[in-house]
Amino acid sequence: MDLDTLTGCLASSACLVTQTTSGFIIGMLLFLVAVGLTLIFGVLKVVNFSHGAFYMFGAYFAMTAYQLTGSFALAMLCGAAGTALLGLIFERVFMSRVYGRDVLMQVLVCYAFVLIFDDVVRMIWGPEFKSMGMPAAFQVPPLFIAGGVVPPYYLLLISVALLAAIILGLGLSRTRIGKVIRAAAHNPGMVSALGINTGLIYGGVFALGGMLAGLAGALAAPVRSLTPGMGFSVLIESFIVTVIGGMGSILGALIGALLIGMIRSFGSLGFPLFTEGLMYLFMVIVLVSRPTGLFGKEVA
Amino acid sequence: MTELQAEQASKVLDNSVTQAKPRPNRDALIALAVFVVLALLPMLTSSKFLLDFVIRCAAYGLFATSLNLLVGYTGLTSFGHGMFFGLGAYGFGLMMQKTGVAVPVAFVATLAITFVVALVIGAICVRLKEIYFAFVTLAFQMLIHSTILSWVSLTGGDQGLRGGIPRPPFLGIDLSNHLHLYIVSCALLVIGLFLMHQIAQSPFGYTLRMIRDNATRASFIGIDVWRAKLTIFVLAALFASTGGIIMALFVSGAYPEFAYWTISGEGIFINMLGGVTTFLGPMVGTALFLILNDTVTRVTEYHGIVLGIVILFFAIGLRKGLMDFVIEWYAQRRERSGERAS
Amino acid sequence: MTRTRKPGISRRSTLALMGAGAVTFAAPWVARAQAKTIKVGMPTILSGRVAQLGTSSRNGVMLEVEKVNAAGGLAGRQIEMVIRDSKGQPQEAARVARELVNTDGCELLIDAEASSGAFAVHEVARDLGVLCIHTNSETSALTADPKQHIPNAFRTARQGVHDSIVGGSYAAAISKAKGLKKWATCAPDYAYGRDTTGEFTLYLKRFAPDVEIISESWPKLFQPDYTEVVTKILQAKPQALYSCLWGGDLTSYIDQANIYALFTQMEVFAVNMADYTALTVVKNLPKGIHSGNRYIKTYPATAENAAWGDAYKAKYNEYPTNWSWENATAIMLLAEASKKANSADGKKLAEALRGLKIKSPFGADGTVTMRAEDQTLIGYAIGWGTTIPQEPYVPEVKPGDWKTILELEAEWKKSKGYT
Repeated sequence: MDLDTLTGCLASSACLVTQTTSGFIIGMLLFLVAVGLTLIFGVLKVVNFSHGAFYMFGAYFAMTAYQLTGSFALAMLCGAAGTALLGLIFERVFMSRVYGRDVLMQVLVCYAFVLIFDDVVRMIWGPEFKSMGMPAAFQVPPLFIAGGVVPPYYLLLISVALLAAIILGLGLSRTRIGKVIRAAAHNPGMVSALGINTGLIYGGVFALGGMLAGLAGALAAPVRSLTPGMGFSVLIESFIVTVIGGMGSILGALIGALLIGMIRSFGSLGFPLFTEGLMYLFMVIVLVSRPTGLFGKEVA
Repeated sequence: MTELQAEQASKVLDNSVTQAKPRPNRDALIALAVFVVLALLPMLTSSKFLLDFVIRCAAYGLFATSLNLLVGYTGLTSFGHGMFFGLGAYGFGLMMQKTGVAVPVAFVATLAITFVVALVIGAICVRLKEIYFAFVTLAFQMLIHSTILSWVSLTGGDQGLRGGIPRPPFLGIDLSNHLHLYIVSCALLVIGLFLMHQIAQSPFGYTLRMIRDNATRASFIGIDVWRAKLTIFVLAALFASTGGIIMALFVSGAYPEFAYWTISGEGIFINMLGGVTTFLGPMVGTALFLILNDTVTRVTEYHGIVLGIVILFFAIGLRKGLMDFVIEWYAQRRERSGERAS
Repeated sequence: MTRTRKPGISRRSTLALMGAGAVTFAAPWVARAQAKTIKVGMPTILSGRVAQLGTSSRNGVMLEVEKVNAAGGLAGRQIEMVIRDSKGQPQEAARVARELVNTDGCELLIDAEASSGAFAVHEVARDLGVLCIHTNSETSALTADPKQHIPNAFRTARQGVHDSIVGGSYAAAISKAKGLKKWATCAPDYAYGRDTTGEFTLYLKRFAPDVEIISESWPKLFQPDYTEVVTKILQAKPQALYSCLWGGDLTSYIDQANIYALFTQMEVFAVNMADYTALTVVKNLPKGIHSGNRYIKTYPATAENAAWGDAYKAKYNEYPTNWSWENATAIMLLAEASKKANSADGKKLAEALRGLKIKSPFGADGTVTMRAEDQTLIGYAIGWGTTIPQEPYVPEVKPGDWKTILELEAEWKKSKGYT
């Protein structure tokens, strides 16, 4: 424990700003992965334990596209579109067979794909870790905001994630498709009786979830090393986020992600050796006091 | 557990109603016979591999069967059962390394520790239903795992308990002798299975089934659901802990991986391979899983793909575990031959 | 529950599985057929995040095994490597090691496991008495601690304490020259990270007593994101930073610290930087990171070393890693020991290995020695230099002095109560 550093930081505005922004950066990327997880659960009632694999594929797709074209925008697009397609196929061919079945069966199908996807990546891209490299446009000195340090690339990252949150939130509450999705989450039988193809909705939601995770992977690719199995730790963290925020709640995923970001950011100052433990502890406390999570009531 | 499980179970129950009465004497005889056969095995073969295999079967088998008491019999889908496996391994290993007490004392003390921990964690967890129970058990598992990693002075952190686990001979049994270890593991396995079978076939076992099928109805007829769930949670933890002790003796150490979620995952996988509707399903699953693991890692380093496809075969193809399948198939065959005869 | 499949399908697959099981059980009798070949078992990590450890260890071993076999093998017996994946799990490492010896009839073990896996295999070696060479674990206690010592286990990996002595003295010299008094450390939170950092700071302070550690960060092993760690270090405003992150963690850290311009604000000492796995992967490698050598074909600057690096590259289309040379050295030592003992028997080999000095491309003076007292490798090339982003990556390496290393190591062992 190192509480002096923590209190010292809380007293200094420069430190406060910098650590809060780090919390934001960690949290917003986590949000992109977690929101897909929560969306899929909210509508399909499935805990997608293979979600980390989409994050991984997003990063690898982006890296390959970047190496081939040299365009950062295209790399992001490839990461997102590739994983969306993958999500659609995965849902239609495999996951759709285990709806309504025991949760164990769903977990096992996902687990099978975690194993398979990791090996597929190892076959295609090799076992060694890779790095995509930062595009030249972002190789600039960091900005100083109120005494805190913020790299421009992370500003982009936060903006994209916030944009995704806003579009998702508005899309689900204001548009017709959003209403159909919410209806499907509440009562799929009724939606299907109204002549709407629920299979299409399910596939679409899964593709959307996969795409968001892929986008997160693509955005992370310039700053994180790529390796088979890289999705795992991200999956665990985003899983904690969704459980804390409440499975199925988008607002919950946002708040949960930011909370975890802050715990990581300030926890590393005060409890450098037990930062991870803090997250689990927080999750236990939330689950025990509010089993459905902080925002669990509201569905999708 | 869902209706599906209940439906499967009731089917099995239908054709085994006649033998459902608890018969401890007959079970004890069978257990004794199995133990004798296992104990004589080393006389037939000099293969250390086979003995190793049986020891691992004992460790994983106790763990998986105890998980089935929760998953299959009570409908408590625990994602964190592995924490008790790790707790057993660490508790026993630490006790032997630090205090130097006799093996049976350490064994009992480890179970006592497991009892207390399981009681506390269980009291918190079993209030929650379905997926939330799964989540909170997983969270506790991760909490224990990261505590093991962080508490370096006691647990050795990521390096685990190094330098081997001392095992002074007791009552003429020397656990550093491979053969003795084998016999003791077999004994623990057979006794453990016997006890678990008694629990499953007891009135309490049927209470658990009722809770699984309809908890509300169970509480209407005066069953304290929380208490029953907590009891089985603690009992299952004790058997999982015993499995962990065998594993610690086998590798002569304890490692954080024993308390990681992957162990829980493997337990669930084993249960699904073997099937959760029969008592011996998890045992069959254990043997299958270990054979599968050992052969596939020999043949290819892309075992993830192979294992993944096997899981898909069971989960999407068969849609049930092997023992479920065998029993259903057997019942159908009897039915058909019965039709033919009439 | 609807039944869509005919029972026959699964019965067949069940039979297939049982068949596979039968093969597993039958294997002992098949394998026991004693041939002229000598089987060497090698548990290692071939899948998961550090699969590269296993693949490059395997490459290093195979490169040398081919040479040894072409020259007649171990005392006339051809080497047959049996290499298995442990998935990085200690219990699997123990299981695989036992199986290699008991079932596959391996007479020697090369333990290419990392960290806890090495300790698990060590216990198997203790139990079975088989000759075992640890090739990847750098944890000093594995050989330094007399409680761990067994006569049949050796180590051909570099050792944490050696690295730290050389690193500490090198860093102290630069500290004094540049006036670096305030230091920060950043190391992965596991045994290797903690031990190496502790030893490094110990020797840094010994050679430069006015140095002060003002901030410590302990990210988790394989943590994907280091943002909070980077900013924490920036807050502390140290003049120099020490890190023993390695592999993908190190490259992630560099990429993330780069956009915070961390490298322009302090001198960075990253002991695991000068390894091709990291050097060739980082796209925007900052200039002038101080690093210890891992494997680099330009140091030692000898024709033998360059030739070895090139031969490896030609064969596997990638540069060797730190693990490659450590594993290659195990085979080189075994080959020499079998000549000396004129036998491939484990006990005789172990006897011959103790104190054995062989010519080696990786030796500081062209030779490496298997020290008799604690059965670990000494005399290997060890030095520090600064990196540049293209070949030869580390243009100048300041060699560590083995005389000093051994003196201080003896002192360190005493302080730990090992002697």
